[in-house]
Amino acid sequence: MLRRIGLYAGLALAALTFIYPFLWMASSTFKPREEFGSLALIPAHFTLDNYRTMWARAPFGRALLNSTMVATTITLAVLVFGSITAYAMARLTFRGRPVLNAATLAVLLVPGQLTLIPLYTLIVQLGWIDTYTALIVPYLFNATAILMLRQFFLQIPQSLIDAARMDGMSEMRILFTIFWPLSKPVLSIVAIFTFMGSWNEVLWPLLVVRDQQLMTLPQLLTVFALGGGAGSVGVSLASAMVLVIPVVVAYAFLQRNFIESMAGAGIKG
Amino acid sequence: MPSVTFDHVRKSFGDAVVVEDFDLTVADGELLVLVGGSGSGKSTILRMVAGLEEVTSGTIRIDATDVTQLPPRARDVAMVFQDYGLYPHMSVRENLSLGLRIRKIAATEIDRRVTWAAGMLGLAPLLDRKPKQLSGGQRQRVAMGRAMVREPKVFLFDEPLSNLDAGLRAQMRIEIGGLQRRLKTTTIYVTHDQVEAMTLGDRIVVLADGRIQQIGRPIDLYRAPVNRFVAGFIGTPPMNFVEGGLREENGQLSFIAAGVSIKLRRDNAAKAKNGEPLTLGIRPEDLRLDTSPDRAAGAAPDGDALPGRVVLVERLGGTSHVHFDVEGGGSRLMASVSNDQLPDVGDTIRVRVPPERVHLFGSDGKTISNST
Repeated sequence: MLRRIGLYAGLALAALTFIYPFLWMASSTFKPREEFGSLALIPAHFTLDNYRTMWARAPFGRALLNSTMVATTITLAVLVFGSITAYAMARLTFRGRPVLNAATLAVLLVPGQLTLIPLYTLIVQLGWIDTYTALIVPYLFNATAILMLRQFFLQIPQSLIDAARMDGMSEMRILFTIFWPLSKPVLSIVAIFTFMGSWNEVLWPLLVVRDQQLMTLPQLLTVFALGGGAGSVGVSLASAMVLVIPVVVAYAFLQRNFIESMAGAGIKG
Repeated sequence: MPSVTFDHVRKSFGDAVVVEDFDLTVADGELLVLVGGSGSGKSTILRMVAGLEEVTSGTIRIDATDVTQLPPRARDVAMVFQDYGLYPHMSVRENLSLGLRIRKIAATEIDRRVTWAAGMLGLAPLLDRKPKQLSGGQRQRVAMGRAMVREPKVFLFDEPLSNLDAGLRAQMRIEIGGLQRRLKTTTIYVTHDQVEAMTLGDRIVVLADGRIQQIGRPIDLYRAPVNRFVAGFIGTPPMNFVEGGLREENGQLSFIAAGVSIKLRRDNAAKAKNGEPLTLGIRPEDLRLDTSPDRAAGAAPDGDALPGRVVLVERLGGTSHVHFDVEGGGSRLMASVSNDQLPDVGDTIRVRVPPERVHLFGSDGKTISNST
């Protein structure tokens, strides 16, 4: 019993060290300037001024909308195109399939920074600077997602595909009516990773978007905070909160699938 | 109901030939069983009829229609898979009706067919369950129901019973047979289990290494196998084989092997040459155990008696299997006998080999003569 109490106390302490900075940040956004020195989690004088200031100084609402639109589009595209590609790679036989597999894997070996400049040049040539297209198109396909989906699709029994073909389904229909419902765990993992990755992306938007109206949230935040637009710690933190909340909400929605698939990753369904 | 015609069908994967010159017509309403060991090509043949596997050369026709190049959905055949292939996320009702919905059949007609199949297969109370909530036998029935509601031209069964336990397998075997007779749908049934083949098939095709060994009614394959492979494959327990040769002395033909001398009738061995290496085959149920101790060796009126030492007795209930070593030789044989006078392990016994029950095979494995 004592051991158990000790164990839980230890775990609680560990949890606290993780959650405290976040809670402090969250609560500090509601504190007036004078209170920032305090480590207390409950503001002595509750205020929304930080958020009002932030909202007034830069188009955060618009940026939030931009980010949501860009991240959602990219996530949907990665799921749809990724699973179409993965299905073909996993379950169809065609000339050049081994090359396609190897090429997809090879893409992972190239660091993103390396392709940044050629990609940028390409976007300039296409005249896509300061457009949503520049933010979205380079991310429509994702090699990691394709490989994860392919790995999962390989484990679905062949007889399901055979049965579906006998039932008269096209390959596309097999993918979306048979494979997708059976692949919820891996689809939600891919969705979360893609959404978070796209949501948190700063470097690429900084390169291709200069118009404030088109900026994504982290980009605007970076420009705003680093450019000194915030003016105070409270306002900086408030904008950081706006950035974090959608990701937390998305995670909360998908976490059951997420944890299930992490736990079941090594076990054959 | 239509027939299925294979016209010199061949299938290879790269250099490996899986099916060679498969040429056969499945008659209208017939239940044809393809039987063979693993790697015999039987499932590949079925999958080629289904359209799930491409034909390397040759043609497959259903009725007069050449379906060789048609996709599965255009062939109007339905298949029952070894592991059922039920959609795990759909209810039994959805599993049954999906193929019909895809074919845009009217909802009332779908309802009628689902109700009909569910009634026939005892699935009515299970229609809203998911496959995971069903037992193996119930899943098997759903898989059959899915094929039935399609009302296809041809049923294809790919080892449908091999995932069931023995009792259920026997029961489902009877159900499938009964169902096929009632529906009169042309059916091709693949199995590695020769009991299923014998009990279900109007005709059986025995396959080995992608080639047809023999086609015939079950009883014909049992009585008159064309080669040693078919002889060993059809019949439970399997036929005994003894390697040896033929000898003629004073006008009497005998089969001679180590410790074995069996007098044969002239018509047994008409085509065999003196001294040619031969294999003698005798079914366990054709051996007669002679347990009376005072008989003289080799003098039984209806054939020769082999002296043997019992090494194992398997009591199955109705019959028993007596395994014995032929004295003075290396052959181990098995006799299937009734339970009246069972010997014990270690006993010396005499086993009569009725000459009219003997099969002879040449060195190439082909049958020289069968039992008469």
